[in-house]
Amino acid sequence: MKVSLEWLSEYVDLVLSPERLADVLSMAGTEVERIHTLGARVSGVVVARVVKVKEHPNADRLRIAVVDDGAAEREVVCGAPNLKAGMVSALALPGALLPASPDTGLSESVIRGVMSHGMLLSEDELGLSDDRGGIIELEAGAVVGSDIHEVLPLEDMVLELEITPNRPDCMSVVGIAREVAALTGGEFRWPYREPVEDGGPAGDLLKVRLVDRIGCPRYSARVVTGVEIRPSPAWMQRRLVASGMRPISNVVDITNYVLLEMGQPLHAFDMDLLTDTTIVVRKAEPGERMTTLDGVERALDEDCLMIADAARAVAIAGIMGGEDSEVTDATRNVVIESAYFDPTAVMLTSRRLALRTEASSRFERGTDPGGTARAADRAAELMRELAGGTVAVGVIDEYPEPIVPVAIELRPDRVNRVLGTDIEASEMAGILGRLEAEVEGKDALRVTAPTFRPDLEREIDLIEEIARVHGYDRIPSLLPAGGGLVAGLTREQVRQAKLVDGLVSLGLSEAITYSFMRPGDLELMRLSAEDPLRGAVTLINPVAETGEAMRTTLLPGLLRLASSNLNKGNRDLAVFECGRVFMAGAEGGLPEEVERVGILICGRVSDAGWPTEDRAADFFDLKGLVEDALSICGTAVKAVFSPAEAVFLLRGRAAELLLDSELAGLLGQLDPAVAVAFDIDCEVYVAEMSRDLLTGAADVPRPYVPVGRFPNVKVDIAVVVDSSVEARQIEEEIHVRGGELLRAARLFDVYEGPQIPEGRKSLAYALEFGSAEGTLTDTEAHERMDGIIEGLRERFGASIRGRDSIQEDS
Amino acid sequence: MDDLEKLNELTEGRPELARLVQESLEEIGACRDGEDLEHARIRLLGKKGTVTGLFKGLAGLTTGDKKVLGQTGNLLRKLIEERLDEKGRELAGAARSQAGRALDVTLPGRRPRIGHKHLLTQVTEEITSIFVSLGYQVVVGPEVELDYYNFEALNQPPYHPARSLHDTLYVSRKDPHRESPDDVLLRTHTSPVQVRVMESRRPPLYVISPGKAYRKDEIDATHSAMFHQVEGFAVGTDITMGHLKGTLEVFARKLFGEERDVRFRPHFFPFTEPSAEVDVSCHGCGGSGCAICKRSGWLEILGSGMIDPRVFEYVGYDPEEYTGFAFGVGVERVAMLKYAIDDMRVFFENDARFLRQY
Repeated sequence: MKVSLEWLSEYVDLVLSPERLADVLSMAGTEVERIHTLGARVSGVVVARVVKVKEHPNADRLRIAVVDDGAAEREVVCGAPNLKAGMVSALALPGALLPASPDTGLSESVIRGVMSHGMLLSEDELGLSDDRGGIIELEAGAVVGSDIHEVLPLEDMVLELEITPNRPDCMSVVGIAREVAALTGGEFRWPYREPVEDGGPAGDLLKVRLVDRIGCPRYSARVVTGVEIRPSPAWMQRRLVASGMRPISNVVDITNYVLLEMGQPLHAFDMDLLTDTTIVVRKAEPGERMTTLDGVERALDEDCLMIADAARAVAIAGIMGGEDSEVTDATRNVVIESAYFDPTAVMLTSRRLALRTEASSRFERGTDPGGTARAADRAAELMRELAGGTVAVGVIDEYPEPIVPVAIELRPDRVNRVLGTDIEASEMAGILGRLEAEVEGKDALRVTAPTFRPDLEREIDLIEEIARVHGYDRIPSLLPAGGGLVAGLTREQVRQAKLVDGLVSLGLSEAITYSFMRPGDLELMRLSAEDPLRGAVTLINPVAETGEAMRTTLLPGLLRLASSNLNKGNRDLAVFECGRVFMAGAEGGLPEEVERVGILICGRVSDAGWPTEDRAADFFDLKGLVEDALSICGTAVKAVFSPAEAVFLLRGRAAELLLDSELAGLLGQLDPAVAVAFDIDCEVYVAEMSRDLLTGAADVPRPYVPVGRFPNVKVDIAVVVDSSVEARQIEEEIHVRGGELLRAARLFDVYEGPQIPEGRKSLAYALEFGSAEGTLTDTEAHERMDGIIEGLRERFGASIRGRDSIQEDS
Repeated sequence: MDDLEKLNELTEGRPELARLVQESLEEIGACRDGEDLEHARIRLLGKKGTVTGLFKGLAGLTTGDKKVLGQTGNLLRKLIEERLDEKGRELAGAARSQAGRALDVTLPGRRPRIGHKHLLTQVTEEITSIFVSLGYQVVVGPEVELDYYNFEALNQPPYHPARSLHDTLYVSRKDPHRESPDDVLLRTHTSPVQVRVMESRRPPLYVISPGKAYRKDEIDATHSAMFHQVEGFAVGTDITMGHLKGTLEVFARKLFGEERDVRFRPHFFPFTEPSAEVDVSCHGCGGSGCAICKRSGWLEILGSGMIDPRVFEYVGYDPEEYTGFAFGVGVERVAMLKYAIDDMRVFFENDARFLRQY
């Protein structure tokens, strides 16, 4: 909300600088987002009257105005469409300073061959508004030749405020003035005046009937006859413009002015357009339609609260008036509606129609039920003064069940217990009194909130008021004592953190992708309709860009990540993501959320740069990362990798990870056809695993294995077997036969080719034998070797190539 | 006593023997390469060498002299062998030092690929660890939530715009026109964890809960349908707003720097009262106003407040007995402020060049 300081100062003395005032308001809960300065540094502009208008000899759109500047007549060139003889406007004299050129004075200049001795100004050029549709039109009574500052309060500052939803009273100049008064100790002055009533009794002119008393607890109205529709005075226009509203005509401007001033939305009907001059407040009938002021025909239903006359709806209550009862230039007699509508009723209607207005935003937060008649009085009096109307006698005020605020009990010791303060009860009473609450009692206080503060219902609401007016900065800061809590991370949380740290230490960078996916993503992955991953949770109102389902796998996100990076030229990727997938649960229930770890690699294995191995990542790089991740987690159970099949992984290049025989993940090369579907043009390797199985399997600390103080004996052997034999089987056999003296068996070469028979492959292992007891002799090592070779021959028909010499490792 | 000292003792009063020892060692010391060393070895230890000569001289001597000379010969041989080996290693090392080719040391180092934690994870961990050090436990909750935990039990009024299809992503709704506590939605903040923890445990509670949250926002520089928050709360019989201030001041200074000013501004949240927004003085300008803080000198970093008694009523705590405070920190916001990032999209685009920056 925008509040003009010039306007505000009418109701409270502003003793602080605008910046300091903004600070005080912000620190009391009404945040000042910006301070605008209007019409700053305008000089050399006077009130001038247009004496006559002449054609410009060289331009169709331009004319020459002969103006009286109070001292003499002068000619200025002007392009404004509203220029006419007799009008009073603002004239910038040569040398004038204007907001657009604050440092350079206006110079006389020749415009299309005609000398212009000054310039007639629009509101925009004066910095009043962004209206550049024509030159400013001042009141006819303005004294020609006087400085513009005497006519227009140009130099004004506007506070742009953020009003929290609990403070509808602050959505008005009066509300902010009250706040300023309470915070700075100034005196608040009501703008209210008793209207001069010189018409007939209002009750004879208009009937009001409340059908829906829940939707409309109070309906106040005033009748003003004989108004003359014309522009409102400059001071009012200026205040409206400063508040962000467009002036329209005096009667409409007055309703908006009172809305901004008192926070009470008003509506003006043309009384002569109301059938039987009757107002009925009721719910819409099924199928009812009406056209609102904005020219839109709206379909209504039973939830919509309406203002009707005897024949048809004339307004949507609290939101917008109807087109066919609105005030026009021809209007003579006006009904001013000033009602209290139920916040929920207005909110529901506003939501149903997707229509929000200045009025609805106030009603739905809660206006002042006690202030409707006063606002009607205020508007009526302004119409009498500014539109020449005659105010009918009396307010028509339907208020069958007055809303009476309940007294709230306030315990001063409770206030101090919640705030951690030592505030005296008398100070609390003083603060609440300044906020216009009625306070009784000395120790236990009984507090009755004013009707314009619907947010004050409970003791805690009052505690907040005391805290913010007393000042949050005056509450002493302290750390809680705690109380011997067992806090910190759980063992599982420590392992989870270790997993992420471990993946990072392996050279993988962490990605965070959206938790959404498109169902089409799973089709691109070629998952069948029966696949469990197709059981996704879907959104009923998704954000189009990110997809309508919750992901059941991390892979689509990672594949899209790969695709976008590859397209940007980032060809070497090594990323992981830790995040949840969502598996649909029972209808209407919550899904199962499972923490997963995904890995994706492609491109070169190293990005070290110059003279280095330029090798492309392959399956075994991926598997190595998974193995190292398990090792970093400290997984104590046996990890087994078995050949697997998955529709999105390349056949023969996929494995499943089993931890203690439980399926913990899947890894392999993405099928090139799937890669293409995701717009990926290179080999990509992906893994997806259960985070909790990875970290959960590590709960048991691994027992220490003595590293041995004696040198190991190292032996290399190459085992030639049928290509179908799995390396895992060979390693098992080596370990079984090697027994506890075999400390390590490390594969260092795999060969298939001309040097060995077709259909066979050679696996070369570096074996290490050792003992905690002492240095092994060659004989002991050879005995084990013989056993291993024998086992491999028996089980796989292996032949052994070049059993290399035994060397001691020191 | 080492061998040389023993030799010196044995040759005490026998200058010709002492000189022999000294000359032998000097000869080794003077060798400049392998060839010199080989010559020295032959001259000192060879068949006609110094040591052999010493032993040959034993024949005509008395038993006492024999013993001294014999011991001298053995020790000298041992010492010479050691010195020859030592000198040999020294010369070999010196030879290798000469052979090293000069490198262009200004060429870039060969750096192994290192991984990077996502910036949001780093910031989350930083925030979380501050509270863990203050005695908080980490608890996480579901991202797909019931309306009850996300709104209802947090005192969010019915018909509030936040509860509409326009602002919140829904999985299912009982009644398409209005909200119900049974509606299933993507949590719009991490606050539902408050309700879940309080429902299942009794105070005292000091809990921090990092996680993802979602809103129906089209994605642009300042909005994202998914974002990260860290929720925290403390409940006990004696928790005051002073504790809220003390705790969050410590937090804000640990996160943004010890010299930062911290201020608490009244605000409104449905689930806390009194509520406060917390600002720190801008680290870009120290509070005098710059582009980061939009000239205000302050940066808003989190929302907080005393837990509303209604929330306690929902979870079955007596609001007369217990008080507590709660707060929520936007991880993206903190990351953007700390690292001067002006577009939220970079967090979720996962461009490798972004991931590698932090």
